[in-house]
Amino acid sequence: MTRTFPPRPTLLYGIAMTSVAALAAVALSSCASDTNASEQADGGTLVYATGDAEPTCLDPHVGGNYPQALISTQYLEPLVGRSADGTIEPWLATEWKASDDGLTWDFTLQDKVTFTDGTPLDAEAVKANIEHLQDPDTQSSTGYLAVEKIKQVEPVDATHVRFHLSKPDSALLESLSQQWTAIQSPAGIARGMEKNCADPIGTGPFTVEKWTPQQQVTLVRNNDYKTSGPEADHKGAAHIERIDWRFIPDAATRYAALTSGEVQVIDNPQPDSIVAAEKDGSGIEHINAPRPGSTNRIELNSGQAPFDDIKVREAFIRAANPDPGIKSLYLKTATRSNSLLASTEPTSISDNTLFRANPKTAEKLLDEAGWTAKDKDGVRMKDGKRLTVRFPVSTNQSVAAEQSLFEQIQANAAAVGFEVILNPVDLSTWYGALGKNEYEAVSAPYTKVGPDVLRILYHSDGIVPAPSGYFANHAQLADPEIDTLLDEASATLDADKRTKLYADAQQRILESYTVLPLYDQQNHFLVKGATGVTTLGTVATPTFINTRLGS
Amino acid sequence: MRAVLARLGSAVLVVWITATVVFLALRATGDPLEAILGGPGSQAGPEAVARATQSYGLDQPFVVQYLAQLWRIATLQFGDSYARKQPVSELLAENVPPTVLLATLALLLAWVLAIAGLLIAATARGRFGGLVRSALSGIETVASVVPQFFLGAVLILVFANGLGWLPVTSSGSSPAGLVLPVVTLAVPIAGYLAHVLHGSLAEADAAPFAVTARSRGASEARVFFRHTLRHAALPGVALSGWAYGSLLSGAVVVEALFARPGLGRLLLEAATVRDVPVAIGVVTVIALLYVVVMLVSSLLEHVIDPRLAKAVVA
Repeated sequence: MTRTFPPRPTLLYGIAMTSVAALAAVALSSCASDTNASEQADGGTLVYATGDAEPTCLDPHVGGNYPQALISTQYLEPLVGRSADGTIEPWLATEWKASDDGLTWDFTLQDKVTFTDGTPLDAEAVKANIEHLQDPDTQSSTGYLAVEKIKQVEPVDATHVRFHLSKPDSALLESLSQQWTAIQSPAGIARGMEKNCADPIGTGPFTVEKWTPQQQVTLVRNNDYKTSGPEADHKGAAHIERIDWRFIPDAATRYAALTSGEVQVIDNPQPDSIVAAEKDGSGIEHINAPRPGSTNRIELNSGQAPFDDIKVREAFIRAANPDPGIKSLYLKTATRSNSLLASTEPTSISDNTLFRANPKTAEKLLDEAGWTAKDKDGVRMKDGKRLTVRFPVSTNQSVAAEQSLFEQIQANAAAVGFEVILNPVDLSTWYGALGKNEYEAVSAPYTKVGPDVLRILYHSDGIVPAPSGYFANHAQLADPEIDTLLDEASATLDADKRTKLYADAQQRILESYTVLPLYDQQNHFLVKGATGVTTLGTVATPTFINTRLGS
Repeated sequence: MRAVLARLGSAVLVVWITATVVFLALRATGDPLEAILGGPGSQAGPEAVARATQSYGLDQPFVVQYLAQLWRIATLQFGDSYARKQPVSELLAENVPPTVLLATLALLLAWVLAIAGLLIAATARGRFGGLVRSALSGIETVASVVPQFFLGAVLILVFANGLGWLPVTSSGSSPAGLVLPVVTLAVPIAGYLAHVLHGSLAEADAAPFAVTARSRGASEARVFFRHTLRHAALPGVALSGWAYGSLLSGAVVVEALFARPGLGRLLLEAATVRDVPVAIGVVTVIALLYVVVMLVSSLLEHVIDPRLAKAVVA
C-alpha cells in the first residue's frame, strides 16, 4: 500500500517515545508499591500463562513435545519421579527391581488408586498404556522411543506388573519418569484419539474440564487426589481449586499480564523481565529450572566438507567466542556451559579448555587445513571453494537473544575467514533443510531425562533418518568407539560403571570438536500473587500441588 | 443480476487461486505428515507413518490430492485438521466470529475517528483553527504509519499496566477486553481514511452546492453533515472494502499480541506445522469475507450516491 511520510518523523517519534518512557516509569513505580502481604486462603483460581506453543493434543502419548509435558504434569502422573539430585523416587510405582541380566523388571504399584473416572490403576492399566505408546495409530514420537525396549508387559496380579525387555536398558527408569510416558486411564484411551486428546484422564491433582483452543484449558481440582509425587509437601488434594491455563504467545504481553495481576505464573520470560523480577521489592519470584537432557549448543556437520576436517571444526569453535554475547544478551540470566548435558544432570562432565576462544589458533588451524587463499571479501578459499557455513535457524525454537548471539558468532567467525550464512526459517522449513543435509552448523536442543540423550544425539544410529526424514545426530558423528561406549552404558545396570562410561563418551564427543556448548536449555518461571510453585525433577515442568494464592 | 453473477464469478476465481497458492506453497516446503505425526521432527515409527499416509490419502498422486482438496472447498467440507484431531469446520466456527467482530468494530471505530477529526478541522475557526488543522494533519500522518505491534505494546503499557483501566489480554468478546485490540487495529486505518477523506472533502467544499449552502447562512457543522461529507465519503467507502482486507491481515499481529483467539493465529499455527486443511479453510473464509465486504461497500456507494445506481456496474 502507498503511505505518505510524516513531515517530521524524528520530532514526532521523539515526543512519542519520550512520553512512553515517562509513562513506563509511572507504570513500574505503581507496580513496585503493592507488595503488602495478603491473607492466604485455600481455593481460588490460579491463572498460568504459557508462551510455549499450544498443544494440538492434550495426551502426551500422541506426538510428545514439551508443551504437552508442561500441561499434562497437572493431570497425568508417571510411574516414577526424580529428585533434584537425579535419584529416581517412587510415584505411581512404590518399588521396582531388575533381574541380573537386566531383561526383566518387576514394578509394584500403589494400592487402591483409581483414575479420576473411577477406573482402577492396576497392572492391566499399565499394560494398556505401554501398548498405547507402541501402537502405530497413537502416532507417538517421544514416548514410544522411551519404551522401545519393552517387548512385553505381563500383569502378575493387580498391583504387580512385569516388563520383559528385548535388550537391557539402563535408562528405563529415567524414561518412565517422563511426562511422555505418564499413565492414564485405559477407559479414557479406549474412547479413541479425538476424545482422549481433548481430555485425557489420569491420577493427577487436577482434571481437564474444558479446552477452548487458542484461549485456554480449564483445569479443576481432583478432590480425591491420593498419589502425592516427590514434590508434594502434604498428602491429599491441592489447595487451589482451579487453574486457567492460558496461551499468550507474546512475551511482553505475558509479562504485562503478570505485573497487572491478570495472571500469577508465566513461563518463557525475556531476560530483561527476569532482571526486573530479580530486583528487590518487585514482588515477583523467579524460578530457574533448566530442562534436562542436552544443553543449547551449536553442532557442526562432520558428515561433509568443510567440517569433515577436525582442524576446520576446531578453528570455528576457537573463533566463535560466544561468552561476551551470552553475558550481554542474556543479562547474566544464562551461564556459559562447557558440557553436552544440562547442569542438572549428575552425570554431566565439562571441559572448558577445549572451548577457549583464540582467533590466532583458529587462523593457524585454517592455514594448516589448506584454507590459505582469500577472496576480495576476506573469505578463505581452498581449491576455488569458499569457506562457507550454512546455519539454518529455527525462529520457533531460538529466542530473540539466541538469534542475536548467532549473529555475533557469525561476525567473530568472519574475522578469521569463515562466511557464515544465517538463515532464519520456520520449524518445518528448518527440519526440511536438515533432512536434505543443507547445513554445516545448527542449534537443536533435545529434552530427555538422564544421560541416555547422548545415545540419541551422538550414536551413529542417529544418522539414519526416521520415516519422517528426521534424524537426531546433527553432528553426524560416526565413531565406532563412541558407539561402543554408549551401547555399554545403555546395557549396564551398575550405576558407577554407567557414570564412567558416559563420562568417557562425553569427553570423546567434546574432543571431536563437533559441538560448541552454549548454556543450559533456558526454562524460567515468574510468579506473582501465589506461593508454593515448584518444578519436577524430571522434565522441569511446574507443579501446583503446594500452591496457594496470595503473597 | 448480471453484476451479481460477475461478482460471484470473480469470488470463485479468487478462492480457487488462493487455495491453489496455499496448497502448493505448503506442500512444496514441507511434508504434511509432520503435522499429522506430532509436528516437525517427529520420530514416529515406520508403521505409524504408513498408516497415517494411507488414512489421509497422501499416497495418492499429487494431482488427485489437489483435486480432492478443491472438491472439499467446493462443498465447503474442509476435512479434518492434520495437527489438531478435529474437523476444520469446528475450528473455523470457533475462530471466525472473534476475528470478524474485531475487524468490523475496528473499521467502525476508524470511521468515527476519521470523521471526528475532519469535523473538528472543518469547524475550528481563525488562527487557532489553523493550528488545530496542522496538528490533526500531523496526527493523521503518524497514525497511518505507526506499526501495530508498537502501538499495541504502548497501549498495554499505558492503559493496562500503568492506569489499570483495562485488561492486558482478552478472551473472546468481553467489552473491556476488546477496547485495546480494536483501537490498535483501528488507528492506522483511521489515519489513512482521514487522509483520503480530507482530499475529497476539500474538493466538495469548493463545489457550488457547499458555497450556496454557506451563503444561506448554514453553520459549518450543518454544511459538513448535510452536504460535503456525503460527497467526500464515497472514496472512503470504496477504500473501506480494501481496508477490511488489511484489517483481517492485521488481525494476525493483534491476535498474537493480545492473546485473542481468531483466524490470524489459526493461520499462523497452521502454516508453521504445514496443516494444509486448516490453512486452506482459513484463506477460503478470508477470501469469502473479502468478497462479501466488497459487495457491501459497492452497495453502500449506491445508497450514498443515487447517480451511481443508474450507471452499469463493471
